[in-house]
Formats: sequence, structure tokens, C-alpha cells
Amino acid sequence: MRTNRLLPLAAATALLLTACGGGGESVDTGGGGGGGDNVLIAAVSAEPDQFDPHVTNAYASFQVLENVYDTLVVPSAEDLTMQPSLAESWTTSPDGLSWTFTLRDGVTFHDGSEFDSADVVYSYKRIIDEELSNAYRFATVSDVTAPDPRTVVVTLTRPTPNLLELIGSFKGMAIVSENAAEEFDLQSEANGTGPFTLESSDANATVLTTFGDYWGGAPSIDGVEFRYITEPTAALTALRNGEIQWTDNVPPQNVADLEGDEEVELGSVTSVEYFYMSMNYAVPPFDNRDVRRAIATAVDREEVTQAARFGAAQPNETAIPEGSPWYLEYAPFTPDQDAARRLLEQAGVQTPITMGLMVTDEYPETVAAAQVIASQLEPIGIDVEIQEEDFATWLDRQSEGDFDAFMLSWIGNIDPADFYENQHLSTGGSNYQGYSNPQVDDLLTRAATEPDQAARKALYDQAAQVIVDDVSYLYLYNPDEVQAWAPGLTGYQVRADSAIDFENVELP
Amino acid sequence: MTGYLLRRAGQAVVVLAGVSVLVFSLIHLVRGDPIRLALGTRFSQETYDALRERSGLDLPLVQQYFTWAGRAVTGDLGVSFRSGDTVTSLIGERLPATLTLAVAALVVALVIALPLGMLSALHPRSLVDRVATVVSQFGISVPDFWLSIMLILLFAGVLGWLPSGGYVPIGEDPLGWLERLVLPAVATGVVSGSVITRFVRSSMLEALGSDHVRTAQAKGVPTRQVLTWHVLRNALLPLVTVTGVQLAYLLSGVVVVEIVFSWPGLGQLAYQAVRDRDFPVLQGAVLLFALVFLVINLLVDLLYGRIDPRIARR
Repeated sequence: MRTNRLLPLAAATALLLTACGGGGESVDTGGGGGGGDNVLIAAVSAEPDQFDPHVTNAYASFQVLENVYDTLVVPSAEDLTMQPSLAESWTTSPDGLSWTFTLRDGVTFHDGSEFDSADVVYSYKRIIDEELSNAYRFATVSDVTAPDPRTVVVTLTRPTPNLLELIGSFKGMAIVSENAAEEFDLQSEANGTGPFTLESSDANATVLTTFGDYWGGAPSIDGVEFRYITEPTAALTALRNGEIQWTDNVPPQNVADLEGDEEVELGSVTSVEYFYMSMNYAVPPFDNRDVRRAIATAVDREEVTQAARFGAAQPNETAIPEGSPWYLEYAPFTPDQDAARRLLEQAGVQTPITMGLMVTDEYPETVAAAQVIASQLEPIGIDVEIQEEDFATWLDRQSEGDFDAFMLSWIGNIDPADFYENQHLSTGGSNYQGYSNPQVDDLLTRAATEPDQAARKALYDQAAQVIVDDVSYLYLYNPDEVQAWAPGLTGYQVRADSAIDFENVELP
Repeated sequence: MTGYLLRRAGQAVVVLAGVSVLVFSLIHLVRGDPIRLALGTRFSQETYDALRERSGLDLPLVQQYFTWAGRAVTGDLGVSFRSGDTVTSLIGERLPATLTLAVAALVVALVIALPLGMLSALHPRSLVDRVATVVSQFGISVPDFWLSIMLILLFAGVLGWLPSGGYVPIGEDPLGWLERLVLPAVATGVVSGSVITRFVRSSMLEALGSDHVRTAQAKGVPTRQVLTWHVLRNALLPLVTVTGVQLAYLLSGVVVVEIVFSWPGLGQLAYQAVRDRDFPVLQGAVLLFALVFLVINLLVDLLYGRIDPRIARR
């Protein structure tokens, strides 16, 4: 072990050498290379791929676009219920097949042009006609018309009670100005109605400038500079140094440390994202309900949460987090390895069996969670073989059904339809596990068109119970959304939908 | 000399063509569908097909290659799947940052390597030599990721002397540019410097032990003159090669260091392109790396000829 004792010495020497080579000018903590003193410098972990809200799918892009574009309605920061934004009010026809939106007056785009119904029609038709990323959200929309400049009518093929969530839950449904795609290079330019304008973007930073004519009143800061800092240590160091004032690059393992740190303010909220594990119905014995239930019974969600998130999450046996109006208190599985063994016996399974569990390094916490699950399933005779893939390969294998089981999360859910339809309808576009239950199909289909909120919740509650009992998904937890900022920064609120809104921020 | 140059340039073109075929086929053989990645988890089949057609990925692979290669010859490397920017503009945007970092790292490397390597060669098995061995061993084996984090924690965190990362162009803020350059250049330069230290030491030792040096010493030539004219000149030869290779390596973007320090260079670009399966960007970047290696090798060979005329004559 001689080398080990030499290492600190060598490290010290190397650092000394580097200090000599460097020169130690002091750092101006004020603004760095970016704009003026009243500009918020925010560190995000990735560079936006592009800025066309109707095309991109990257969270890094939406972090920026959230502040540049508006939607007709917008989820409230408190409970994610839909609030007026570009639409002031709306009415629904008695048959539920037509929605009429009254638009806000006196709204201008960043280029100075006035916002009216033609812009809404243009934006929505662009998504539908060009089959852009979010076209699936308009699956029940048959037409969008503008009878007058302040009115937009959306006509549907069947009642769609969650239309507001579909058009308002994120900036992928942003309203751009009429003919924006012809007049602007939307991949690198923006013309929205939001509180900030897109000033510039390069490999180093994206810069937003305050829009003086914003309909909601101009923000008090002069702008926002998004810097891309992938490495959390670098981001948190930069925050402590005053190089940046805000970051969402806070790994769960750092939370406990940061809580006692006076140089950093921490904000946290249980998000509507959920992590789950899913087993392949086409691969025996995972097609057997008892086998899946055995596995669900052997998994201890508290332990998984501790290992994967260092406790920064809420264990959950359904998808929707506590606090959402759609939350259902239902937890039929208590960790019990004897009960799990009995279920396996009942299923007639000869143990040990092997289960490949596919995870991706894109979400490191799934790797940690998989290791805990492997150790929990081993005593009941299931050898978990963890298969770690990069995300592109992972997605390929998922869509080809080339797996025994996999883990991942769903983000951006607000309405229960987002939580259940795509994933558990037998015709669902993301039903990669191959789940098919006529009762669930019936419940989800009826819930999708049920206009009465209470009746709708009852239908989703029933569906959720069957889904949990069948273990179509083995739900694990809702992670906390954790962000950190400089002490004294006010007007910022961490949101359960992970949207980042700097409109009301004031710098220390 | 001109014939030699032409022959070498011809070889380079053939190699480049080979690399292009290899890069193209390898990237397309790797699992992972860029369209699925770009669309996220929720999309309809129509959307998928539309984007696939727009990207030209529905065409047969051979046709895709010749379309791409044909355009690449004219300098058009295509358009990024993800951002829609041209690959040449993306590379052009990143090149200055990587160039800066590579040259600065090389300076750091040589500043470490030359004195350390020479001193240990002149005093083998002395304290200096042993320290140099340990330091270079450390430099070679320490993960650059770890070293980078340590540098950030010490110089940006504890001491607060330098920023934790980022980049500003020199024209905008020369001091800020320099401050941000120091840590990544050191993190990268330590590794290269360690490699070069060993080469300097061994080639100096070899030169010191050679017959003509002993002859010169026997003739009574002053030590200083022996060192500069007889030893250094011979020791420089392998050093040119090693330095060239190191520079090429640095230029192709020290991926990890660029990511840790948020240095917007080619390494970062290539890393993102691999992750996103952004084929055009990746193909363009790899082709550029190959070109850099070929050109630097060519330059090294020419330089070699200058230092040792025997080689050019062959």
C-alpha cells in the first residue's frame, strides 16, 4: 500500500505545480462574462437542442421556452390546476364537443405585432398539419377556427374533458405569431408573448432579455442568462462563489449537505414525475399475475427510495402523488418476502428464475434502484440481471419488446389521462409491457370523455386500482424536484411540474 | 521533397475515405434510433414516419452514405438532427474553444515536462528524478475527471481564486478568458505533461549515453555545448512525435475535461452527438478528428525531416 501513502504527497505537488502555472488573480463575482448586474445567471445541466417549441422534446429547451412563450392556459404553481393565460375565459358546449376561448386583449408579441385568434389557429394547425412532436395531444381535435379576433373555437370528435391540460400543461403547445415559421428561424429565434425575449444562444449560454411590453407586467430583473454546467460539483461551487444565482443541478445525495449550508437556499417539492418498473407480458413467467404480484410484494419501496434518491422522494404504490387533486390512497402491497414466496409457489414457478432488468445510465437513479431491487428479489429466488444501456439503445430495446423488465420514469403528467392512458390502454402508444385488460380499457375510455369531475375521478380511481393489482406497472416513488439558489433571491417557486419560471424573480 | 509531400497527401486522402466509410457504417450499426430519441416517449406513428422521412433515414444505407460523402467532399457535412444547424457551423463554433484549450494544455504540458524530464535525465536516481517519476506516474494514472473536480473544489471552491468553469471569448474579456482557461488547461496538461516527461527523460538518457556525446566530452567540449548541440538535438526527435500526437489528442477534444469545466469545445459536441445519436454531427466530428491526426502526422514528419535530414532523403 505504499502508493496510497504517496498519493496525497503527489497530489499536493501536482496542485503546487498547477498553482505556479496559473497565477491567482481574484475573481470578480459580480457578473462574470454575462450581462449587467440585474441579470439572473442560472445554471442548467444541458444545452437546449433548439428553440422551436412545437418541434423540440428536450427539457433543456423547455426550461428556456417556459420564459419566452405563453400558452392559452397555464398550470398554477400551487396545485397545477389550469388558470387563464392568453385565454381569459372559456366555455364548453353542452355536448362537450366544442370549446370557445375568449382571448386576452392588449397582448403583443416580441416583434411588436398584436396577438389575436389567427395566431392561435396558426400555431395549432402547424402542430396538427405538419405532424410535429405534440400532434398526439390534438388526437380528438377536428378543427380550430377563429370567428373573430378575440375568439377561438376548438371542435372535437369526442368530448375531451382534459383539453385544458392538453393545450396548457407545457410550452410545447406555445402560441407563436401567425406565419412565424416563415418569418423567423424558429430553431434559433423566437417570437412569443412571454416575459422574456430570446436574445442569443451559443455553445456557452442562452441569454434572455426582459420584454418591456409583457402583458403581465415586465419582470423586475433585466434578463436571464442560462449557463450549461453538466457537472453538479461545478454548478454548486459556482453557486457558492456567486458566479451563478440559481441551479436545478442538485443531485439527491447533496440535499442533506446543502440543507445546513448558509450560502445556499434550497427549494423542494414532490413532483408529478413517477418512477416505475414494468415487466414484459410476452415473456413467461412474467405473464403470470401472481409472479408479478410476488415481485411487487418483495420490493420494499422505502429502501429503494433511500438508495436511489437518498430519501428525496415519496414512495408511492400508484402513479399520482399525494397533494394532487387526483391522488388515490391505495397501497395493497406490504413488503413481505414470505408472502412473495407463497405467491411464486401458487403460480407454479420453479425457482430460481432469472429476470433481466433493463436500466439506463441516462437516469443514474434507476441503476441504484435496480441494485436494491435485485437484492430484495434474490431471497425469493429471482436472480436479477441488471442490464445497463445508454438511452438510445434502451429506447430501441423497449420499443422492440426486447426485455424481461425495465425501469424508467414518466414526467410532465398533470391530468390522470397523462398518467394512465398511453401506458395501460391495450392500444396505448407506450404500452410496451403489453398489458391488456378489457375492464381497464373500458374504465379509461369512459373516464376520457366523462365531463363530471367527481365521476371522472371515480373512474380513474377504479382503473388505477386494477392497474396496481395487475402490476401493469410496479410503481415505486414520486421524486422531489430540488433546486438551489442564492440566499436573498425572492419571487421564485419550485413547481411540481418541474417548469422553471423566472417571471417574478428578484435578485438579492 | 515535393514528391514526398504529394505522396503523403495522397495517402491521407485514401485514409480519410476509408475512415469515412468506417465511421458511417459503425455509427449506423450501433443500436439506438435517433428519431425515437428526438421524439421522447410519447408520439404517434405518423409523427415518427414524418420525421424519419425529413431526416432521410428512410433511404437505403448505401444511398445515405453516398449522399453524405458526396456533400462532404464539397464541405457540406449536413444538418444536425437535433438542432437543425449545419454541422460545419456547429464545428466552427466549437473549434476556437478546443484550439485554445489544446494549445494552452500543451504549453502547461511542456512547462512541466521539459525541465522535469531534463533534470531527471541529468541526475538519474536522484531525489529530483524520483519525485519526477512519482509525479508523472500520478499524472498518467489519475482520472482526469477526478483531477478536474479537485481543481474546481480547491481553486474555485475553497480558495475562490478562479471561476469554476465556463468560457468567454478573448475579445470580450481577456482576463475572464484567461481565468477560465487555467484550470481546464492544467487538468488536461498534467496528463500530457506526464507522458511527455517520461519521453524527455528516456530520450535524453539515450542521447547522453551515445557514442558521439562521449566523444565530444572526451574532446573536452564544454558541458553546456554538449548538452545543447549533441544531446538536445537528438533528444528532440522523438519529442516532436510525442508532442505532435499529444496535440492531436488534445485537439480532438478532451471530452471529460470539457464537460466538467463546461468548456464548449468539440469534445463536448461529440459527446452530445453520441448520446443523441446525432449522426451528421458525429460523422462530421470524427471526420475532422481524423483529418487533424493526418495533418499533424504529416507536419510531424516534415519537421522530422528538418531536424534530421537523413529521414527526408529516404
